[in-house]
Order: sequence, then structure tokens, then C-alpha cells
Amino acid sequence: MVKRIYICHDTREGLFSALYDAWKERRETGEAGIAFYGNLEAELFCEYVETIPSTQKVNAVERMIWKNMGSEAYGRIYQASKSTDPEKGTAIFQTMVAARNIEQSNKIMDHLTNPAVKKVHDLSKTVGNEQHFFKEILRFKELKNGILYARIEPRHRIVEGIAPHFENRLPLENWLIYDARHQEFALHEAGKKWILVSDVPVDEELLKDVSEAEREIQRLWKQFFHDISVKERESDIRQKRMLPLKYRKNMVEFE
Amino acid sequence: MEKEWPENVNVSVKTMDVYEKLHILTDAAKYDVACTSSGVDRRGDGTGTGNCEKAGICHSFSADGRCVSLLKILFTNECIYDCKYCINRSSNDVVRATFTPDEICQLTMDFYRRNYIEGLFLSSGILKSPNYTMELIYTAIYKLRVECRFQGYIHVKVIPGASQELIQKVGFLADRMSVNLELPTKESLHLLAPHKSRKNILAPMRYVQNKRNENKQELTVYKHVPKFVPAGQSTQMIIGATPETDYQIMKVSEALYEKFGLKRVFYSAFVNVNEDTTLPMQIEQGPPLLREHRLYQADWLLRYYRFKIDELLDEKNPNFNVLMDPKCNWAVQHLERFPVEINTASYDALLRVPGIGYLSAGRIVKARRMGKVDFADLKKMGVVLKRALYFITCNGKMMYPTKMEQDYIVRNLLDAKEKLPDSVRNMNYQQLSLFDDTVQGVVEDGQKNLYLS
Repeated sequence: MVKRIYICHDTREGLFSALYDAWKERRETGEAGIAFYGNLEAELFCEYVETIPSTQKVNAVERMIWKNMGSEAYGRIYQASKSTDPEKGTAIFQTMVAARNIEQSNKIMDHLTNPAVKKVHDLSKTVGNEQHFFKEILRFKELKNGILYARIEPRHRIVEGIAPHFENRLPLENWLIYDARHQEFALHEAGKKWILVSDVPVDEELLKDVSEAEREIQRLWKQFFHDISVKERESDIRQKRMLPLKYRKNMVEFE
Repeated sequence: MEKEWPENVNVSVKTMDVYEKLHILTDAAKYDVACTSSGVDRRGDGTGTGNCEKAGICHSFSADGRCVSLLKILFTNECIYDCKYCINRSSNDVVRATFTPDEICQLTMDFYRRNYIEGLFLSSGILKSPNYTMELIYTAIYKLRVECRFQGYIHVKVIPGASQELIQKVGFLADRMSVNLELPTKESLHLLAPHKSRKNILAPMRYVQNKRNENKQELTVYKHVPKFVPAGQSTQMIIGATPETDYQIMKVSEALYEKFGLKRVFYSAFVNVNEDTTLPMQIEQGPPLLREHRLYQADWLLRYYRFKIDELLDEKNPNFNVLMDPKCNWAVQHLERFPVEINTASYDALLRVPGIGYLSAGRIVKARRMGKVDFADLKKMGVVLKRALYFITCNGKMMYPTKMEQDYIVRNLLDAKEKLPDSVRNMNYQQLSLFDDTVQGVVEDGQKNLYLS
């Protein structure tokens, strides 16, 4: 049988639909891969199939993973699917195939000797770490209309992962987190559930209009940040190791 | 909560604005070490602002590479005490400032909602009397918790000498409390902080400990009883201002962990800010950062690796080896216990191998249930083989042929270079090379045990 590559868009719907198709046709042999538009590398001895995305496919696959592979694997796979790694689809599919071939499918994430499982594990860890990091370094600015606005540029799609944290933390505020790299928004209205908005054109100029109080508080924060360092212990290398320069871009204290 | 700042922005000492106060009171608070926001897991209830994550969150790193997690400020830097090492002592001529409870609440809330900080760390100089100051602190955090409905992290310093009633009231609002031990021994305390007494420091520590135990029992019966200091208490000691040895210092820490149930003891390398005659000079070498580092390493050995301090140091060797970390140092002196077989050794024995941390020890124990563990597996589990290889066997074999000789192993371990924190590496270069000289001197004297004495 010729290996079949399923092509899809790098979205939740695209990826899980491709997983559905691959699972339906190739779960016995596992001779399948998943590739994304815009990231195609032609392989020899393969056939390419385009996936038709649908919500039913997504729901079916998610239900199946949850039911057969357990909540831990579900969480890992979900997090890995947020990564920007082009191999993620294939790794997830191979993990599912591996789970099918063992007795206790819900223990699949313990089988780290399997390269696909290891890959999913590592991807999920990378995404998880970045998620935690952005909980730390994200900075809100208060706009003229009182909305708190934060701009981030993460490597992976982590907005969905960090929004619940801020929803719980700032339930009575209107806030907005904008992932400028992936063009995704998390929107939260005071007292309500947050929502994810993507593929909406943004005029960033509008988001630069901060309130009067904001300037004052930024000044206070910069002052605090400067004063808190003990001069006798200062070490630029150490600071850079703890907080690499690339992350400082959207942080008030380094502006 | 109002969102506007007071109108008057003109800076004079009498009508000092928040900006000026923050400058003075941050500057005065920065020498406090603890800036952790860990230990409590609390979800926001939806009616206020804030939550807490068990592992804590560091929001930034200042120019000295220390994490900035809490808004670390003093309530006031006015003080009736005259501790020799402290920048805020009464005999120093520095600009004094005092926050109002409202200013503290507003700053905390404004910083918190912008995700600058995880919460508030409130310490204070002593204004009028310990009780008066503690009462002020209580007012501030009561406002913050109740009126601003702040549910983030609060760390409060206990003022030695404050009444139990006040400590209790504060304890039900704060997440962590700490009383600074300041100096390891009574004599040093008497010398450098003549107005503080050991009794006044240990009494509130004991009180918080007892109260916490009581509270834990209540919590098992009634689930919704308010929690008392849920993240536990910590303390800190100044290192290098007085002649105590590492052995004495670590003995004190051990006692604090065992008898007072502390969560953390922090060590603060002494920074000479006052140039008092009773204090050591620091012209070239700066604060004793390497020593501080060694103390923290030993502290970890106590808390996570089941070591007793008497195993690491004794009266004859009262200080840590500057060239080698305490765990390696212990291992090369106890070669009769090595090598250990990875596939059969107990968890406790694995913990004592240099290069194996408590996480990798846990992983080894889990992994060897499934099959034999080999050196390649160890590497994946995070074991530092360049240190561990002298002390372990896998399936009866060592990684390379090695001699089980002290000198040989010490030489190789020193060659492998220890990874020191960047700040230590930078600043103590001078200091390190100085010590190198002395070690060579020892060799020439023909002493047997060159690095270990």
C-alpha cells in the first residue's frame, strides 16, 4: 500500500479532520502522514489527498481520543496541536495508531520509547512552557476606553491556553489579548466568558491610544523596576539568561 | 476603586507624591531576599481581582537577575531601631517616607491588573512602636483584601515585638508571613541589632507555627474555615557580616526547618551600605555571593535530599569547600558507599549520588520497573553523567574504567567545571583565583587531603 499524505490547513478544524480521514482509511497499517498547506515537502512514493474539513469529523475524533486514550493523552495531544511544528499532525496520528496496538490504550503517554509518543510529549511540553512564560511576561495597557489590551508574539498558538488564566484572574475587567504573529484575539467582557476571534483585520494604531492614568502607572512601574535591583549584585548575563531579549519586546519595563 | 491619581504632582518633601514615595520605599526594601509567590493554589471567586498559582509566577527579572514577582515595598522607612547593617537605621540621615494604606492598595491593584506583579510584599521600618506599625500594616492589607477584593498573593513581614492578637489578625489575611532572623547567633544579633532580641523574633515564629497547626486541624473538620498563613512562613539571615561559620549557620537553618516548620530559610549575602566600624569592609570583592550559593546548595540538600548538616560539616571543617559543591564534597569523602548500582539501589542511595537530582532519582525508580536502565537512558532522564559516572554502575558496569581514588575523582570533577550562577561567576572571579592560590599553597605544605580539608 502506498503511503498517503493528508493535506489540511493548520487550524484545529483542519488538523482534526485530517486525523479523522487518516484514521478511517489507514488505522490498520499506520501508513499515513499529515501535512499542512504552505509547508509541503514532496516525498517520493506517496499519494497526496486533500482533506475536506468538517465539524462532525472534529467532534468524532476528539470524542474518540477522550474515550479511548484518556484525559491525559487528550490534554497532551490538544496542546501539541497548538505547536507550529509541521510534523505535529503525523506524530499525533502515529501516537493514535500506537495506542490502538497496546492493551491499555489510556497508558499510551507512558510509552516514551515510541518516537511518535515522545514527539507529542515534547511538543506539548514546549507549548506548555511557552504558555506559562506568557502568563508571566504578558503586560496589559489600559486604553482610553478603559479596556486592558495586551500584545504578544508567541511562537506557538497559546492564546487559547492562557485566556482561562486571565479570565479567572481578572473577571471584572474588559480585556483583550492580541497574538500578533498568528492574528488571534482573546476577548473578555466583564463578568462573561472569554471568546476567541481570529482572521479579523486589525488596525493597531487604534490600540496605541492609552489612557492618562496608564502613562503615570507605567512611569511608576519603570521606577520600581529600576529601584528593586541591588547594584552590588548586578549581572547582565544573568538577567539575559532568565529573560532573553526576544521576549522583552512587548514588556513595559524594557520599552 | 477610583482610577485617577491625586492631582498634585509637585515634589517637595512635605507633600511627597506617590512616585517619590515608591522610589524611596522600594529602594529601602530591595535588600529583602524573599520574592516568592508560591505555596497557595487559589482560584478567583469571580467577585474581585486575582488568583494564586501553586508554583508561583515570576513576572520579570531585574538588572541583578533576581526575579520580580511581588510589589516589594516598605510601609515606612522611618525606624526607631538602630541596626548597624540597615540602611534605614535611625542614625542614618536618609529621606524618610510613609505610604498611606490607600496608596498601597491603589499601587497594588494598578500593577496587578496590568499583570506586572503577582501580589504584595509588605515590610516596614518601625514607626513609634512594633504594635503601632503592625496595626498600620493590618489596616493596609485589610483594605486590600476586603475593600478592593484582592485575591492575589500577600506576603507580610512580622514586626518583632508585635502582639499575638495583631499577628493573628494579619495571618488570616496574608498568604505568607515571615520574621527575619537577621543574624544566625544571639551574640551577633546583640552586637549589630541591639534593639532586637532573639526572644522577640522566635516568639512570633512559634506562634505562627502553632496557629497554623491548629488551623490545619480545623480545616479537616470544617472545610470553609478561613485559612491562616496558607503558604507557610519563611525567614532570612544575613551572611558574611558576622564571624559565624557555615556550620553554625546551617545548624540554625536545620533547627528552623525541624522545630519551627519553616517553608524556606533565605540567605542574604551581606552588602555593606553603612560603613559602620563594626561591619566588615567590602572594597574589592563585593558581597560573598559564592558563599551564599554554597549555603543555598546545602539548604536544598537538607530539604530535598534527606541530608543532615552534621554529615556535611563539623566543628573541624566548619566551612563549605569553595571549589566543589557540598554534595560532591560529601561523596568523595564517602567513597566506601560507592559505586551504587542504578538498577537496584534504594531511592535514598540514588539521591546521594552527585549528578542525580531528586527528579531524575524519581524517574530512575519508575523506569527500572519496566526494564534495565542503561547509561543512555540515564542521560535522557536528566542525570549529569560527567559528575555521576564516578559513583554509579549500570548492570554491574561503570561507564568508563575509573579508579575509586579520592585524588583521581576530585581532579576529574574539578576538570569537569561546576556550573555556577552567572552572577557568582562574574563577580567572584577575583575571589576564586585567590582561593586557588591558597589551595596550591596547601599542596606545597604537603598536606594529604588537598581540596577536602
